[in-house]
Amino acid sequence: MPPIPGSGLAKGLAVTLRTMTKKTVTAQYPDTQPELPPRSRGVIGLFEENCTVCMLCARECPDWCIYIDSHKETSPPAAPGGRERSRNVLDRFAIDFSLCMYCGICIEVCPFDALFWSPEFEYAETDIHELTHERDKLREWMWTVPEPPALDPAAEEPKEIAAARKAADKLAAQRAKEQQEQQQQEKEQQEQQGEKGGNP
Amino acid sequence: MNDVLDVALRLAIVFVVFLVAPLLVGQTEHKVMAHMQGRLGPMYAGGFHGWAQLVADGVKFAQKEDVVPAAADRRVFQLAPAVALLPYLLVLAVIPLGPGDGAVGQLVDAGIFFVLAVMGIGVLGSLMAGWASANKFSLLGGLRTAAQLLSYELPMLLAAASVAMAAGTVSLTGILDAFAWWWLPWQIVGALVFFVAGLAELQRPPFDMPVADSEIIFGAYTEYTGLRFALFLLAEYAGIVILCALTTVLFLGGWHGPFGADGLGWLWTLLKTALLAFVVIWLRVSYPRLREDQLQKLAWTTLVPLALAQIALTGIVKVAIS
Amino acid sequence: MLHAAPSLVASAAGDHPGFLSPSGVEIAFLLVGLATLGAAVITVTTRQLVHAALWLVVALGGLAVEYLLLTAEFIAWVQVLIYVGSIVVLLLFGLMLTRAPIGRSPDADSGNRWVALGVALASAAALVWVVVDAFRTTWIDLDGPAQGSTRVTGAFLFRNWVLPFEALSVLLLAALVGAIVLSRKRDTETGTGTGKNTGTGKDTGTDVGTTSRTGPSGAPGKGEKR
Repeated sequence: MPPIPGSGLAKGLAVTLRTMTKKTVTAQYPDTQPELPPRSRGVIGLFEENCTVCMLCARECPDWCIYIDSHKETSPPAAPGGRERSRNVLDRFAIDFSLCMYCGICIEVCPFDALFWSPEFEYAETDIHELTHERDKLREWMWTVPEPPALDPAAEEPKEIAAARKAADKLAAQRAKEQQEQQQQEKEQQEQQGEKGGNP
Repeated sequence: MNDVLDVALRLAIVFVVFLVAPLLVGQTEHKVMAHMQGRLGPMYAGGFHGWAQLVADGVKFAQKEDVVPAAADRRVFQLAPAVALLPYLLVLAVIPLGPGDGAVGQLVDAGIFFVLAVMGIGVLGSLMAGWASANKFSLLGGLRTAAQLLSYELPMLLAAASVAMAAGTVSLTGILDAFAWWWLPWQIVGALVFFVAGLAELQRPPFDMPVADSEIIFGAYTEYTGLRFALFLLAEYAGIVILCALTTVLFLGGWHGPFGADGLGWLWTLLKTALLAFVVIWLRVSYPRLREDQLQKLAWTTLVPLALAQIALTGIVKVAIS
Repeated sequence: MLHAAPSLVASAAGDHPGFLSPSGVEIAFLLVGLATLGAAVITVTTRQLVHAALWLVVALGGLAVEYLLLTAEFIAWVQVLIYVGSIVVLLLFGLMLTRAPIGRSPDADSGNRWVALGVALASAAALVWVVVDAFRTTWIDLDGPAQGSTRVTGAFLFRNWVLPFEALSVLLLAALVGAIVLSRKRDTETGTGTGKNTGTGKDTGTDVGTTSRTGPSGAPGKGEKR
């Protein structure tokens, strides 16, 4: 049912007038930094030490914007007569951010936790070629990666911590066992010595 | 010699007002529109809340290249901004700020006629621009301008005639001398018609069909660049000032106010004008653009009958009280 | 009628200052008159349609200035309001709607220039003769207060010349009604013309002013209007 004629017009005026008295939502960006939400996808940081040059990220990238060069290094066998160990050494790791579509697949797919989302976003360049960032730059961004958000209070232990604890427990158990064995041996030796000393 | 000095001084003041007042309105529009949309508006130019934004705009416009399209009619194309702007300067000279001879640039006997006649010339500038640009969009804009002017000139004149009837004079100062507070409810319909028709004549939103950017780019001003474009913009804002001042003088009692000393009448005029300018901006932010047929319909089926009814009412009351 | 207003307040004949030793206002009057005449001549001789309309603005504006110089302020502003503000805009509107090319349009020239010139000269002669005959010995005192003010003009118009005024308004009303009737007649013609088509009669009946309508596309009508 149409109300009083012109009430719609008045309502329009009222809306704009009310908005005028409210606080503005303008973000004055260069003057004040924006408050980014957690897990913001700003840029991808590289933690080189974890990278094994498995090439999974480069292969899974939908845009093919990750460039990886590497070479093989052989190290002498740990024990004489053993096999020579070969290891991949990273030569180049670059991401072309003019192609990257920030899907995050590379980060998801990395089995060794070498790639991370950083909230850093101010890396505009005047030339598109300069948007291909090399490993040193990616490493710099690594230090801007925030700590992962805390787990829920009653959450399951993270897998890697569980695995590490398991390993540590195992090690501790082994050590304890060894110690016990050693102590037992010492005891036995003492006993043997005592037997010898008992009837010289 | 003293007379010459006096006239020169008055014209200089009018000229300064002519240059400053549209900028004030423009800056207010920047800020008010921004806040009505939840934004801040210009914040940098000049330091404090972007107060010098329009000065910066002017400097930018002055630096731009002045392009005249190859197929355009050069002379008419270049003349059009002046034709659009100058009438408003002339009109500003006759609008009385306060009582007496001291507060008006130049007294004109047939003030209403002068003002409305000269304002009509301004639209000729848009027509010239629209035709001379050799651009189909410009021509369409010019056509729409002409159609709009033809249909809205009539209600505007009728509404103004109603006030002239009420006051028994066509002089602007004469009308203000005759003003009494109860004219406000008496002439309210005429005031609304006059203001709406004036908005349409200025091609201000929501009546900005001639410059509808989503359809015909910028209408008659599509091909203009640099300073000439700036002149057109200045003409639009000068038009707002004129329209608001004129509505104030004709319908809102100009320098008359509920309180205040005798010497402060000009303050009332300025205050009312500023308030109306705010309303102009407010309307722009609030309403979408009218379609061309809606524009014509509003003029012929709403405003003209309303204006005629107002004239009848004015006549009846006038006869009754005399 | 326009010239009548100043004549009312004209001072008595007999002691007129004469044509020699003109005053500044008179010189200005002559110069503006020459400019107006020039603009008028260009209006009818230019080969560019829109330029002709714009020169007409200059000519009409010049006339307004002449009225001003004759202290007929009200007439001057009405001249600007009606002629420059409305008539010329209407003219330009019509030109733009039909044809307004940039540059010359020689095909718009009339074939009977000399007849037109003859008619123009004859009417000019008649007008000049009437005016000269009527105001031969009348002089306006230009130095005093404005004598063609709104009050004087209004009083003169509605006391002495009410009948011609009303006759003119009736004439205009007749023209107005005639225009409406003409446009409506065309419309009903279209309605009957396409009346054979299914469903177009209702359509054209409601739309006043859309004379070029030839029925909706896809209707079986052959479009008689084309």
